[in-house]
Amino acid sequence: MLLELNDYVGDMKRCARCSICKWPPLAQMKSWRFSQNCPSIARYNFHSYSGGGRMALGLALAEGKLDDVTDELLNIVYRCTACGACDSSCKYNSELEVLWSIYSTRAHLVSMGYFLPEHLMIIDSLRKEDNTLMQPKADRGKWAEGLELKDLSKGDQAEVVYHAGCLYCYDPELSPIARDAVTLLKQAGIDLGFMGSNETCCGSMAFQLGFQGDFIKFAESNIDDWNAAGAKRVVTSCACGFGIMKAVYPLLGKEMKFEVLHITQILDELIKEGKLQLSKSIPARVTYHDPCNLGRNSEQYVPWRGVEKKVLGQFILREPEKVVHRGWEGVYEPPRDIIRRVPGIELVEMERIREYSWCCGAGSGVKLSMDDFALWTASERIKEAESVAAEAIVTACPWCERNFKDAIAQSGNHLMVYDVVELVKQAL
Amino acid sequence: MSLATKVYKSFESVVGPENISGDPAVLRSYMYQPFGNNKGVWADISPEAVLMPASTEEVVAIAKLCNRHHIVFKAMSTGWGIHNLPGVEGAVLLDLRRMNRILEIDEKNMFAVVEPHVICMQLQVEAMKKGLNCHIIGAGSNTSVLASATSVVGYGPDGLSMGYSGRNLLGVEWVLPTGEVLKLGSLGADAGWFCGDGPGPSMRGIMRGWEGAWGGLGVFTKCAVKLFHWNGPPELEMKNAPPNYVLKEPINFFRASLFSFPSLDQLAEAAYKLGESEIGYFICRLTPSFVGLQMTSGKNYVDLWQSGMMQQVLKYAFLFVIFANSEREFDYQQKVLAQVLEETGGQVSPISETEEMQEQTAITVLKVDAVVRSCFRSAGGFNTSFGAMDTVDLAINQIKAGAGLKEKYIKRGVIMDDGGDNSATLLFEQGHLAYTEVLIMYDHHDGESAQGALEYLAESNETCLKQELGSPIFQISQVGTGKHGVFGPACFNYDAWLREIKKQLDPNNTCDPTAYISPDE
Repeated sequence: MLLELNDYVGDMKRCARCSICKWPPLAQMKSWRFSQNCPSIARYNFHSYSGGGRMALGLALAEGKLDDVTDELLNIVYRCTACGACDSSCKYNSELEVLWSIYSTRAHLVSMGYFLPEHLMIIDSLRKEDNTLMQPKADRGKWAEGLELKDLSKGDQAEVVYHAGCLYCYDPELSPIARDAVTLLKQAGIDLGFMGSNETCCGSMAFQLGFQGDFIKFAESNIDDWNAAGAKRVVTSCACGFGIMKAVYPLLGKEMKFEVLHITQILDELIKEGKLQLSKSIPARVTYHDPCNLGRNSEQYVPWRGVEKKVLGQFILREPEKVVHRGWEGVYEPPRDIIRRVPGIELVEMERIREYSWCCGAGSGVKLSMDDFALWTASERIKEAESVAAEAIVTACPWCERNFKDAIAQSGNHLMVYDVVELVKQAL
Repeated sequence: MSLATKVYKSFESVVGPENISGDPAVLRSYMYQPFGNNKGVWADISPEAVLMPASTEEVVAIAKLCNRHHIVFKAMSTGWGIHNLPGVEGAVLLDLRRMNRILEIDEKNMFAVVEPHVICMQLQVEAMKKGLNCHIIGAGSNTSVLASATSVVGYGPDGLSMGYSGRNLLGVEWVLPTGEVLKLGSLGADAGWFCGDGPGPSMRGIMRGWEGAWGGLGVFTKCAVKLFHWNGPPELEMKNAPPNYVLKEPINFFRASLFSFPSLDQLAEAAYKLGESEIGYFICRLTPSFVGLQMTSGKNYVDLWQSGMMQQVLKYAFLFVIFANSEREFDYQQKVLAQVLEETGGQVSPISETEEMQEQTAITVLKVDAVVRSCFRSAGGFNTSFGAMDTVDLAINQIKAGAGLKEKYIKRGVIMDDGGDNSATLLFEQGHLAYTEVLIMYDHHDGESAQGALEYLAESNETCLKQELGSPIFQISQVGTGKHGVFGPACFNYDAWLREIKKQLDPNNTCDPTAYISPDE
């Protein structure tokens, strides 16, 4: 299996308990107000709710130091968006696998039969309807009606497969963004198709919640389908889908005959090639929110398997050398480049960006199972956007958009939320 | 929930149900404490509950409940090290994380008022916006400003120009072990926060003495600390990829260089002269191993070490930083430094003169954000020894004693081979004071290594006594019940005074006696 708690005992035993996981990399801190990086410890405060606290509990489970799995333990483990900010900060100094220790703790609990009831509903929906949203599978392709998109599941071939992702397929407020994306790609002359109602979830939520058997089933099925469709590229608008396809799919050992791209990468490419020309002015001061799974969590993960040797007395040398994932290799520039090319737009940065970005709050099933925490986290980001006098927050992930829109509606705030795709469509 | 339900409910009524927990998972996560642990990462003793008060009033209410029900309490801020946990059974832990505000930055009078969970980096970034800067302790900017000022040691290499935390302390709000609130210094005379010693009661010696009461004498809920002039930009912008963030623009009149000397005695002479000349922003003893681990990790570090290059270019070295207010002052300080080096045989280490090292060193010096790299990353376990604050000569004697002592343990293979001389920090307050710590790295999960480290620490303590090298900064406070015992008679029976203070301020012994002192002989 991909996630074995014992594989991370070495990391969990070597946390220094310095609490650097609770802050952005210290050199990048810019103010007291926005000085936290982890929504979970920021909201719930007990040390347990930090990256370090969760590593301690993972270790305690692995070493049998917890007699019972209490409800509070499950809260600690799952009140976390798996945004990976703790992991990026830790690796500034220590190179420990904080996020994968968290994933593995969840997988360990699931293997023992422990999870939240809400999560079982999500997994049931996946198993029955191929989506996380408890929506009928038959309706999955409806968002594309009238677009005359090739249905590759029916034998058509295309160079590029467009994968919308669960939320763009079923959320009526967000589906137009997927339609815009397809329209733009076709307008630029891309040979495009999709899997119609046979498109399935990417499996990221199953992976993040610890249901790795379900994840593997969906991931392998997607790889097989896309290989069979003869696609050279898979383009997705869902940042969560992109993150899992880039970071984790390659670990399954199946040949992937296609390149995975996020919609912002291909749009950026097309704009730079002159195939899409942004000419209409959109006079607005906007800020960009980095989705975690498009950014730091989309680096291809290379698990370390090797031996620890003692040299220089007690220096612990890992052989082979460990690949350290610092979150720097995520997709940061393409969405920004697109925004900067929109006439009239002024892009201003928030304090917490790129590999130390604050999460929107929706990830890892939090939006579906504990919406109050998701909305609180989003409201913190909205305040950060307001602090730079942005009129709109632009992002590139349906979960971020959904959560920001809900938080803004709840607060009565006037901040606008746009997807990068919407800006491109408007500016053409 | 082991606390009697009635008592738990009483605590809950003070902090609210979201801010108290006796859940085994929560408690277990707090018990993970590698630093200072004899072996492994788990504390032997669990708190009965963790409480997170949000105000002085809530701390007072908790302290009074503890006195009424004879429950020991112990407070922590950022919680790094086993000394943050109660050392006795049946105690409650106060995690002060919710008391996290910077209450005031007084630009004109150059001080800040902070709550316990404000970390040095939070204060620094806000202070810089107002042309001010704060002292950051050697452990790093991820630590509490208040804790090092009121309760635990508080030294760091920028202390050359910005003093140390205990000295920088001004007005203090202190919840005594009984739950009474005592305001120290000018605050006690309703005259604001500007002074620690009056008008109003000055109890700095009783409150923290040399190194603080380590959370064993009530709870410090607010304090003011001195700030210092900052001549750099209001915000330090970074460039490059992690983990090598560096300043986007160099800072004017700022230069950091590593200097090596033919002998430790010549290094000491240079330190004295630099102190007397009252120049410099930051000085830190830096050793080949420490610098190497800042620069690299894993196999690259091992290869670098085994090449012997670092040992050659950084033998008997320190890092010295000039940060001046004007070009003229910068030139003056450079000239003085050059003269001192000439008189003492100091040489600029070529590795510090590369653009890359200049950039990296600047950020490490200003932000003190990468200590974990050098101390915990290599072997997992870390501890420190010696460290009495006194003169340069004493510091040099500590280095010699520590390095000599470590040789034996390095040969046994139980601690990391860092060359023996791995000491940090040097001058304070423009040379009026000096100290150094001798660091060791070991594998705390390896029984033989952990035992070896313990033996080294015990022997280093004995060495402090035998060779009159002063009280070791961390060991004295991490040995639990019975600590101070051997050091008291050697240091004017100071422990008798501590015991008397304990009896007077904590008549019910509700504050953790293992953190400060037991009321019993």
